[in-house]
Amino acid sequence: MGTDFILFVSASVFCIGATGFMIRKNPLVMFMSVELMLNSVNLLLVGFSKELNSLDGQIFALLIMTVAAAEVVVGLAIILTIFRTRHDLDVDNINTLKG
Amino acid sequence: MGFLALSFLGAVLDKKQVGLVACSAVGLAFLVAFWALTDLMNLEPAERIGHVEVLYPWITSGKFHLDLSVLIDPLSVFMLMIITGVGFVIHVYSIGYMNDDPEYSRFMSYMNLFIFSMSVLVMAADFFFLIVGWALVGLASYLLIGFYSEKRSAVLAARKAFVMNVIGDVGMVVAAYVIFQNFGSLNYVDVFAKAPEMYLPNSDAILLITFLLLVGAFAKSAQIPLHTWLPDAMEGPTPVSALIHAATMVTAGVYLIARCSVLYELAPYTMYLIATVGGITAIFAATIGLVQNDIKRVIAYSTMSQLGYMFLAVGIGMFGLGMFHLMTHAFFKALLFLSAGSVIHGMSGEQDIRKMGGLMAIMPLTFISFLIGSLSLIGFPLTSGYFSKEAIIISAWHAPMGNIFFWGLAVVTAGLTGFYSFRIFFFAFMGKQKDPNAHPHESPVVMTLPLMILAFLSLIAGGLGHDVLEFLSPVFGGHVPPHHEDGLLEGITLTLGAVGVIAALGLYLTDEERVKFVKDMLLPVHEILYRKYYIDELYDFFLVQPTKAIGKFLEEKAERQGIDFVVDQVAEKVKETSEGLSQWQSGKVRVYALNMVGGAVMILMFLVFY
Repeated sequence: MGTDFILFVSASVFCIGATGFMIRKNPLVMFMSVELMLNSVNLLLVGFSKELNSLDGQIFALLIMTVAAAEVVVGLAIILTIFRTRHDLDVDNINTLKG
Repeated sequence: MGFLALSFLGAVLDKKQVGLVACSAVGLAFLVAFWALTDLMNLEPAERIGHVEVLYPWITSGKFHLDLSVLIDPLSVFMLMIITGVGFVIHVYSIGYMNDDPEYSRFMSYMNLFIFSMSVLVMAADFFFLIVGWALVGLASYLLIGFYSEKRSAVLAARKAFVMNVIGDVGMVVAAYVIFQNFGSLNYVDVFAKAPEMYLPNSDAILLITFLLLVGAFAKSAQIPLHTWLPDAMEGPTPVSALIHAATMVTAGVYLIARCSVLYELAPYTMYLIATVGGITAIFAATIGLVQNDIKRVIAYSTMSQLGYMFLAVGIGMFGLGMFHLMTHAFFKALLFLSAGSVIHGMSGEQDIRKMGGLMAIMPLTFISFLIGSLSLIGFPLTSGYFSKEAIIISAWHAPMGNIFFWGLAVVTAGLTGFYSFRIFFFAFMGKQKDPNAHPHESPVVMTLPLMILAFLSLIAGGLGHDVLEFLSPVFGGHVPPHHEDGLLEGITLTLGAVGVIAALGLYLTDEERVKFVKDMLLPVHEILYRKYYIDELYDFFLVQPTKAIGKFLEEKAERQGIDFVVDQVAEKVKETSEGLSQWQSGKVRVYALNMVGGAVMILMFLVFY
């Protein structure tokens, strides 16, 4: 499995994530898209780590996973609270900050 | 001795329902104070001063250095003994008095806070902690006066006391600043050591410092013209009146002057002012006390009057005598207040002496203690008040700084004192019961026991006079104030006191017709006295109303048409200019995301293709 292939997969996953984030209305799904983007970067890091024979990339990948886990906790809590107060999860309707 | 302070700290934290904890904390503090006293007694008199116990250095900034420390010397230990001793007795009494109150524990914790603050005040080794204690005491008194927070008058009285005290605090803080400017230190030991070398008597700096400190002392000790808060403070529960407004807090001013005796001796002008104000306050308060009908108010005015005596004493340079009178006064005034509280308790909250009467048979213990308190107050021979007050009055004539004017004020006040104290006495205890609905009863033993202790002290404390003066003398330059003997002056004072009592007896014990007759005859005078010389009205007219008018003017002109106008205009313009931009903030997350990705792509393309 060549590095080119890994790069290609990573880019595709990132694009899927970015597109998903832009077109979906459900914050949960948007959240998953964010995770996809994060993990595509992880993939990239690991791929280059293998290519360059250095462990730095893998360590970074682990770090990102940790941060992602923490971020999920906060994010889910926010989504849950929003749902409890508004009984509605359509992000287009959440526009209190509209100027 | 560091744990002196800690034991007080502990006292504040206790908020348990049981008054036992509160009492034992103060009791323990008293024992520690007593232990410190015996320690001091074992030292040679000359070695007794200036023991500063540094707990830890707190702030060091340039020239400014501040330690958290306590000062142990005869004066502070003497004050501690009074505060914790009388405080303990009053705490025990409060258990009975506040028994039915739902906020019992809050009350106890405030009381503890007060004792703690007062201890900080007297144990402070520098002006900084003196002010800390000073302000804390003000806070505690505010909380305690306003304790019945559902009573509007209590809240107003508390606020008034607080404002008056803050005026004093300002004086203190400015004084501390000037002291630091001149001496480069706030430490008592440094300042008092340097003062005599650096300044001539009556030099400007010393006069300024002593005067500013005096503002604080006057406010705290309710001297004219900052006295109006004290009678109003009687809205608080009676043990509070006894603790704060008789035994301890109001004496802080006297303590301050005694503590700074070195400075005051360098400022004879200020001393003269103190003595004059003290004397005038004494007679002024006594005359008002003649006509008030609220039992606690009469005692409050009597407190003011006695404080006037103390100021008179320190003003003529008799610091030791002032402190001695402070002690005897703490005993007998606390006794009077607590007896009055017992009466009020027995009468289910009635404070108007016109509705009392004939309590002698029903409340014998209270009767006896009130009698002893009153006798001591008027200086009946061989009671404690006799020794301290008599000494002050005679010194007012004989002391180097005394003169006939001071003596006249003091001696007339003595006569008035006899009249007003026995007026309430006869009203409350003699005659027959006037209000048929009242069912007075004797107070429980937890209240009468403290009365008896204080009564005992009021009787015997006078004999300690010489020892007290000797004990305190190292602080005041090492000399015991000379004892003046003058049979004639003493005789005059006693006679006047007796005349006062007999006048009260003649007026109030016979028939009400005569009271009415005298009252009508002196109606204009009575009115002026009853309204307290219109001092409150004067303050209202000269200070409150103009302030209100200025405030109203500023609100209408400056606020509405000035500041508001500008602010509104700025807001308006910003809003107008930003209207276009605000279209971008659509509130839609997905649009934001699209913009972000689009922007990132554009930057990327720029980087790649150029």
